Amino acid sequence: MRVLVVEDEVRLANNIAAALRERCGFAVDCAENGVDGAALAEYQHYDLLLLDLMLPGLDGLSIVRQVRRRRDMIPILILTARDERAQVVELLNAGADDYLTKPFDLGELLARAKALIRRGKGVSQPVLILGRISLNTVEQTVRCAGHLIDLSPTEYRLFEYLIFRPRAIVSARELLEHLYDYNWQHHSNVIEAHVSNLRKKLRAVGEETSIATIRGRGYRLEAPEKQL
Amino acid sequence: MKQSSLTRQLIGGVLLAELICAALFSFVAVGHEMHGRRRAFDVMLRGRADSLLGAVQDAEDPEDNVVVDPTELVLPKPDVYAVLNPAGRVLGQSQVAPPGLIRGSGGSNKPTYYSFKANGTWYGAIRLDGVRVIDRDDKGGLRRPVTVFYASPTSDLWHEAVEAVRFYVAAGALLLAITGIALVWFLRRRLSPLQELAAIAGRVSVHSWEFVPPGSVLRTAELAPIALSIEELLKGLRQSFERQRQLTGDAAHELKTSIAVLKSSLQLLAMNPRTTEQYANGLESLLMDTERMEDLANRMLTLARLEEAPMEQGETSELQSAVRIVAERLLPLAELKQVRLDVSGEGSGKVAMQADDAEVLCSNLIMNALQHSPPQGCVTITVDSRDAVTELRIMDSGEGIPEAALPHVFDRFYRVDRSRSRNSGGAGLGLSICKAIVDRSNGTVRIQSTVGIGTQVIVTLPQSKTA
Repeated sequence: MRVLVVEDEVRLANNIAAALRERCGFAVDCAENGVDGAALAEYQHYDLLLLDLMLPGLDGLSIVRQVRRRRDMIPILILTARDERAQVVELLNAGADDYLTKPFDLGELLARAKALIRRGKGVSQPVLILGRISLNTVEQTVRCAGHLIDLSPTEYRLFEYLIFRPRAIVSARELLEHLYDYNWQHHSNVIEAHVSNLRKKLRAVGEETSIATIRGRGYRLEAPEKQL
Repeated sequence: MKQSSLTRQLIGGVLLAELICAALFSFVAVGHEMHGRRRAFDVMLRGRADSLLGAVQDAEDPEDNVVVDPTELVLPKPDVYAVLNPAGRVLGQSQVAPPGLIRGSGGSNKPTYYSFKANGTWYGAIRLDGVRVIDRDDKGGLRRPVTVFYASPTSDLWHEAVEAVRFYVAAGALLLAITGIALVWFLRRRLSPLQELAAIAGRVSVHSWEFVPPGSVLRTAELAPIALSIEELLKGLRQSFERQRQLTGDAAHELKTSIAVLKSSLQLLAMNPRTTEQYANGLESLLMDTERMEDLANRMLTLARLEEAPMEQGETSELQSAVRIVAERLLPLAELKQVRLDVSGEGSGKVAMQADDAEVLCSNLIMNALQHSPPQGCVTITVDSRDAVTELRIMDSGEGIPEAALPHVFDRFYRVDRSRSRNSGGAGLGLSICKAIVDRSNGTVRIQSTVGIGTQVIVTLPQSKTA
């Protein structure tokens, strides 16, 4: 999952980014002003938008409107130091999904971020299940019939992204865009390496669910018919 | 407090005036009627007295006396009369002759009128001196002078006069009632803009500043200025209220953001086990964050103090020395940034400013100039005192301020480049503090800037007279 944090208070943005990376394993990009934030959001690489309300250049509300005008479904969480009712109502009506007032609890921010991403992908429970496999987004663990599968953080993130859309073809490019931030050098073969490791680990526990490679199109998480 | 109603007062006033007019009119009408009737009464008296005189006849006695023969006379019953000869002998009188009837003595040819009261009745009376000639022959006959006293009761006179004007009095009263009702209706109608104005003004509150005077108010010459001044006043109040709210909001925003930084830093640090080095780094940045917050709080308090507390009388300081002290203090920073600090000036004069404030003013302005100067740049500071005015100019060779931002640079929490000044620790209060300090000393501060060339801040202060 990749999150865009638009916040002009750099220290705060860095803290949020660090927490999202450490606790959720998300890739995070930060923008210091509204113009940069809006430009980054246009790429549609993100699974969540974290917006400060008062921003230099372009304010949070304008970014929300811009994003929704594009019919972008991305969940938007607003951070605001002002908790005036009218403003909150205006924001939510403009298309924002949730808001947090500063100073907020970092744990709450992470929980809300996860919930919004979940909802954005059409899932309501924190544990995703496909056949015998269950993925706990809170613990960041993957189990097969109750047995823990030991995954590296990147493997977990890859699997998490795929399990949100089982049986759908996800391109390597999309995986790159949604799993790595801008500081990371793009190499598409890294995905192939992680996918291959993931396959091995799944096979090791005797799981029939596998990640199929669809030539020239991407990857697909497939569960055996009888398990469905 | 007892309230008086304008409508009621107006109606009462007009009705009272009308009532007085009607009363005066009635009084004059009755007076006029009385006067006419009195004259008619007098003429009638004269006529009856004359006919009585005509009834004086020869008594057919040896002394050739005269008597009144009333048989031919038809006189109203209540009338009384008496006819006397010069000697005072009564030649004839009515059946009742009140004592007040006979009055005065003869000699006058003109009839005299008088009035008297007898038996509880007022009488109007005439005294007529006449001559009756009897046994008229060639030589003229015998002349017998007589005096006729004739009186008639006047009580009917008043009654009749009042009767005659009663119509007018009634008409007046009716008119009074009609105009009263018409007045109530008319005034209610005409004063309705006043009530509308009051109703609209009454709806204004802190949460609803809407005040649009209706057309009926604006068309009324007396109300339009009131409505317009209320509108103007409300506009000003609203602006200042909103500015205040904006400021409070901005201050809250700054403080909450600072706290959010501290809180999230602490939570992040506690989230996972860290190495000693990570903890040390975290603590160091937390300390920096706290210092920034402390600075913000200090600046906000300084600004509040400058704007709330009145200037202490007699406090003066020398701007020249403040500039020197501050320049010396900032010299290491200037060297670090490789910026040249040029201080010059002529004359000396005291300005009405506390020494601390003068230092804060100079420090904020010079610091700003330093921060915006590129390496190898130059900050030129001049202080000139002449013509009872001290002028401080601080020129930098920085990037300049965009024209659109110039009107806002003195606004609180305003930053031309927010993210940049955040990194340098600015909260957008420095210039607001400078302006507050200069305002307190009745001076002016203005900024000229050209993007790419540099910025010039000019502070003009009147010199203190108490120095």
